[in-house]
Amino acid sequence: MGEPFEPVLLRNAGVADSRSIHTYRARGGYKALRKALEMGPEAIIAEVREANLRGRGGAGFPAGVKWGFLPPDRKVTYLCVNADEAEPCTFNNRVLIEQDPHQLIEGMLIAGLATRTTTAYVYLRVEYHEPFHILQKAVDEAYAAGLLGRNILGSDFSMECIIHRGAGAYVCGEETGLIESIEGKRGWPRIKPPFPAISGLFGKPTVVNNVETLCCLPHIIERGAEWFGSIGTPGSAGPKLYCVSGHVKRPGCYEAPLGLAVRELIEDEQFAQGMRDGRRIKAVNPGGFSVGWLTADELDMKMDFDDPRDYGLLGLGTAAIVVMDDQTDMREVLLNVTRFFAHESCGQCTQCREGTEWMYKVASRLAAGAGRSEDLDLLAEITQTMGMMPGLSICGLSDGAAYAVRSIATKFRAEFKEHIRRQTPGRAEQVMRQTNPALYDRAMGRQTQSAG
Amino acid sequence: MAWKTIDRTQSAIPPDAAPLLSDAVKQKIRSFVERYETARAAMLPALHVVQDTLGHLSPQAQKEIAEVLGLHPSEVFDAVGFYSHFWTKPRGRKVIVVCRSLSCSLLGGEQVLEAFKEHLGIDEHQTTADGEYSLMTEECLGQCEDAPCVLIGEKKHCHVRPEDVPRILADPNNDKVDVARSDLYDGVTPDAQPGGAREG
Amino acid sequence: MATITIDGQEVECRDGVTVLRAALEAGWDVPHYCYHPGMSVVASCRLCLMEMMMPNPQTGEMGWAPKLFPSCQTPVRNGMVVRFDSPKVHAAREQAMEYFLLNHPLDCPVCDQAGECWLQDYSLRFGRGYGRMLEAKHVNPKKNIGPRTLLYQDRCVLCSRCVRFCAEISGTRELCIVNRGHRCEIDVFEGIALDNKLQGNVVDICPVGALLDKDFLMQQRVWELQSAKSICPVCSAGCNIRIDHNRGRVWRLKPRYNDRVNDWWMCDDGRFGYKFIHDPRRLTRPQARRGNRLEPIAWRDVPEVVRFRLMQAVQQHSGQRTAVVLSPMMSCEEAWLLATLIRKAAPEAHLVLGHVPLTGDDEHFPVGCEPGNAKFTIRAEKCPNRRGVERVLKAAGGPTMDFQQFVSQATAGELSAAWVVGGYSNDWVTDELAAAAEKLTWLAVQDFFPSKLCEKADLVLPACSWAEREGSFVNHAGLLQAFDRAVQPPDGAQIDGQYLFELAGLVGVYSGGRVREMMASQDAGFAEVVEATPEPAFAH
Repeated sequence: MGEPFEPVLLRNAGVADSRSIHTYRARGGYKALRKALEMGPEAIIAEVREANLRGRGGAGFPAGVKWGFLPPDRKVTYLCVNADEAEPCTFNNRVLIEQDPHQLIEGMLIAGLATRTTTAYVYLRVEYHEPFHILQKAVDEAYAAGLLGRNILGSDFSMECIIHRGAGAYVCGEETGLIESIEGKRGWPRIKPPFPAISGLFGKPTVVNNVETLCCLPHIIERGAEWFGSIGTPGSAGPKLYCVSGHVKRPGCYEAPLGLAVRELIEDEQFAQGMRDGRRIKAVNPGGFSVGWLTADELDMKMDFDDPRDYGLLGLGTAAIVVMDDQTDMREVLLNVTRFFAHESCGQCTQCREGTEWMYKVASRLAAGAGRSEDLDLLAEITQTMGMMPGLSICGLSDGAAYAVRSIATKFRAEFKEHIRRQTPGRAEQVMRQTNPALYDRAMGRQTQSAG
Repeated sequence: MAWKTIDRTQSAIPPDAAPLLSDAVKQKIRSFVERYETARAAMLPALHVVQDTLGHLSPQAQKEIAEVLGLHPSEVFDAVGFYSHFWTKPRGRKVIVVCRSLSCSLLGGEQVLEAFKEHLGIDEHQTTADGEYSLMTEECLGQCEDAPCVLIGEKKHCHVRPEDVPRILADPNNDKVDVARSDLYDGVTPDAQPGGAREG
Repeated sequence: MATITIDGQEVECRDGVTVLRAALEAGWDVPHYCYHPGMSVVASCRLCLMEMMMPNPQTGEMGWAPKLFPSCQTPVRNGMVVRFDSPKVHAAREQAMEYFLLNHPLDCPVCDQAGECWLQDYSLRFGRGYGRMLEAKHVNPKKNIGPRTLLYQDRCVLCSRCVRFCAEISGTRELCIVNRGHRCEIDVFEGIALDNKLQGNVVDICPVGALLDKDFLMQQRVWELQSAKSICPVCSAGCNIRIDHNRGRVWRLKPRYNDRVNDWWMCDDGRFGYKFIHDPRRLTRPQARRGNRLEPIAWRDVPEVVRFRLMQAVQQHSGQRTAVVLSPMMSCEEAWLLATLIRKAAPEAHLVLGHVPLTGDDEHFPVGCEPGNAKFTIRAEKCPNRRGVERVLKAAGGPTMDFQQFVSQATAGELSAAWVVGGYSNDWVTDELAAAAEKLTWLAVQDFFPSKLCEKADLVLPACSWAEREGSFVNHAGLLQAFDRAVQPPDGAQIDGQYLFELAGLVGVYSGGRVREMMASQDAGFAEVVEATPEPAFAH
């Protein structure tokens, strides 16, 4: 990349006292809100649609289109801000809240104007303690300044903002799981239809938007849809926060246009500055576990909403890049990934509830040096029936878990097979019989026949 | 019958038990109800406040929360069991949460977890004998750029190596953050007067 | 009415139903666990998946969508084309069965549900026959969750039917789900047991052997049971039930679906109210007084003895001083036979509606609902056939009086001869009644158990429980419902219907249908028997 990108979302990050309303206003904040108040809901929605702002939470659904699903005759509208951010290795929402909370509040207000929101709930994961205190203080400042509550800035637009802290469940980042959690129940995602826009929180029309998506709104309103569209690629407009972590020299949250190549984000001086300890890249997960894995020779993939599909990935996801070096044991990676999904599956749908735990058990065995080559086929089949066939579950966790495991097991199959080949003969059978004595009369497969 | 059965028809709550929730705590829970359309939606805030006040959410605490919110205790029990953050048995004064995400794991997070287990002498979801520390893990703490991470109380410790563990444990302020705090979700101290949560 | 196509066949279905319901009603045995027609849809078991034709987003052409849809949450739309018979659906079902059985203990040899278990049925139909997980299974505890129900958590498939029942039907909310993912369990809050009057229904709706009825636990294998269609006799609701019996014993009662009466449910009072049938204290032999003692007489002598003694009593004391108490526990046919035989012998005799037990008020469920919105009601009137007996009395004509009048007149000495039918399963004879009986010169008692009344009787005839008779009851809403016989009466006793039939001068074997035909000539309503609602055999 040539010129360093002029930060948009992170323009106040690192500035002294960036969290306070005074600093935010002094640096041009809340001007977009005034403009939006004059524009009115239809104009705001039109602008956002034209800017082609696609959701940054993982699904990439156009925000303007989502707002359009709300029934026109509604009396109450809720805006739920998804600040659950429990996807592993993703932390851009945290950075936005910590560094520039008023940007989020202004984004919420603009979205609230567009959708006639009466109350906005920010669902913030409980592990974000400091961000909670920071955001609550900013919300208090906004109320004091007449920017939240009744008759905002003297207009007839009123909106409440309430922070609702989560309690440690990844599935509450799913929009209907989030809604159920706010309602005080277990975060079990709802069946759709009805969609949240029709019947969401407390049965009322509801919009769920990601933090980063909302932070784009003040800039779109202030500088226009055309400017927003000029950043990034056609179909993937605007700036994006990329979280780079893993075995890189400089992990961090970097802002750049959508459409950058993965390699650039890993190796460029402006971003992660290449690999630590002189190691080479073996594997990259470029958007959250569910989108899939890239091998070292697939790093020219562009980080936008469409290119990942050409590399066998589900999509852009959260655009969080985790880099694994050539000393990484992919069995440990598989173990980590399967453990995550087994721990976070909500338990409603049969195949997710049972399948995620089963995959974790198989991955544990592989990592313990007790795998069989049939296990790779077994994993492929479990993933096929868990989520490759769409429509099998109520929410996307099952599909995501299946895709993640399938991607790792397929792209790194050679490595898994090599580990199995190098196992102590008979060890697989030994470990399995120790774990489950009921297998005493079960055939173990070809491996034991050759060992015996 | 040879089956071993847990008897759920009997309660361990003594019939003459003194109430666990003070009037001040109940008042704080009720003040959350105004922020939502239903009383049930105050469940998570109520559970946070009570866990912070009492240390954990015992069956008696759950029952009393149900009374305040007008719910059946099974509904509170249902919610408590679902979320990782809530403890139903006593926990230490400070909770150490070690991150197990892929980023932290790649940079040695598992060894940090082992170091904590060794120094504290406890396993996950256990508490030290002096009641000071409890240990648990979480799937991702969202501080991956500073992996490996450990959360103690409200404070995130970054770039933690196994050899840092004794120093971290020895620091009396290892759970304090230095931003201005909101007490909205805090527990209520025993001598507090009934008063609402700060609106906003 | 909408017309949809399922597996290539056109099906007419009611408006507003889901594809699953339409398919079940049309004869497709679509597997499902979480769906129940009486409760909300959760679509969590993922067994009822189907393929649906949808327009291609690019070309607009209709084709099979790549996605599978849960048929329980898809409403029918005229012209819809779906299929269950396809490789994709079969593969999904086969795999779903493997997942369900992944952590299942596979303990059919000791499980009550064997023979009526949906895991067994579906595995047989489309399961794979083996599981491929080599690791140890996750083990759950067994829990005592209530005085009458046991939870064997290992077998649970988390369909959440029981939880929804307690939330939506009984309204008592005892059951909940705890934990997350594969560690999910059904549980109650400690000390607040599953203990409401409808709790037995959760065992019915549990598709597997997770929720177990302690009363039936390990008593019988279900394939050894025979079933009889019956009507519950405990209150005037008239819930349609099924009596499961084997070798002359009743082992359990289950509800039958009737959308005009009890839907899919029955209460615990009815469900467990059959124990008296096998009480050894029951009267089984007819007895006649000779001198100071009651002596057994042979069944074949009963008609002679009864007619002789009855005619003697009537002639001695005049018909006006004779009363016959027809218990509201009797079936319509028995009441009619007795009324007919009395009217023939003594046209001026008084026919009396027996004591109607009333306990409290009607109980409406879900708890706290408006009576008009109740999903189930337990009636305060604890007898099944007050209305039926009233109708018989009306049809029979002639002098009648109510039970309180009978007791007062008997006490005052204004009555000489009486035939009192009991048939209550509890101790119903009050001191007042016993004292009144003292004043009678001639008393016949037809009852279950020996009582103070029997001690004063000149003639004792054993009554049989409803499970041993066939007949009909009229419930609180005026619906005439027929019930079949399940078991034989103990000790060779004859059922009331049979000896009343003979006493009434009729020849042959008593049958409820035959008698109702005769009754219909007096009251046409007795020809209209309300049947249970037909339901797909595999609906739930």
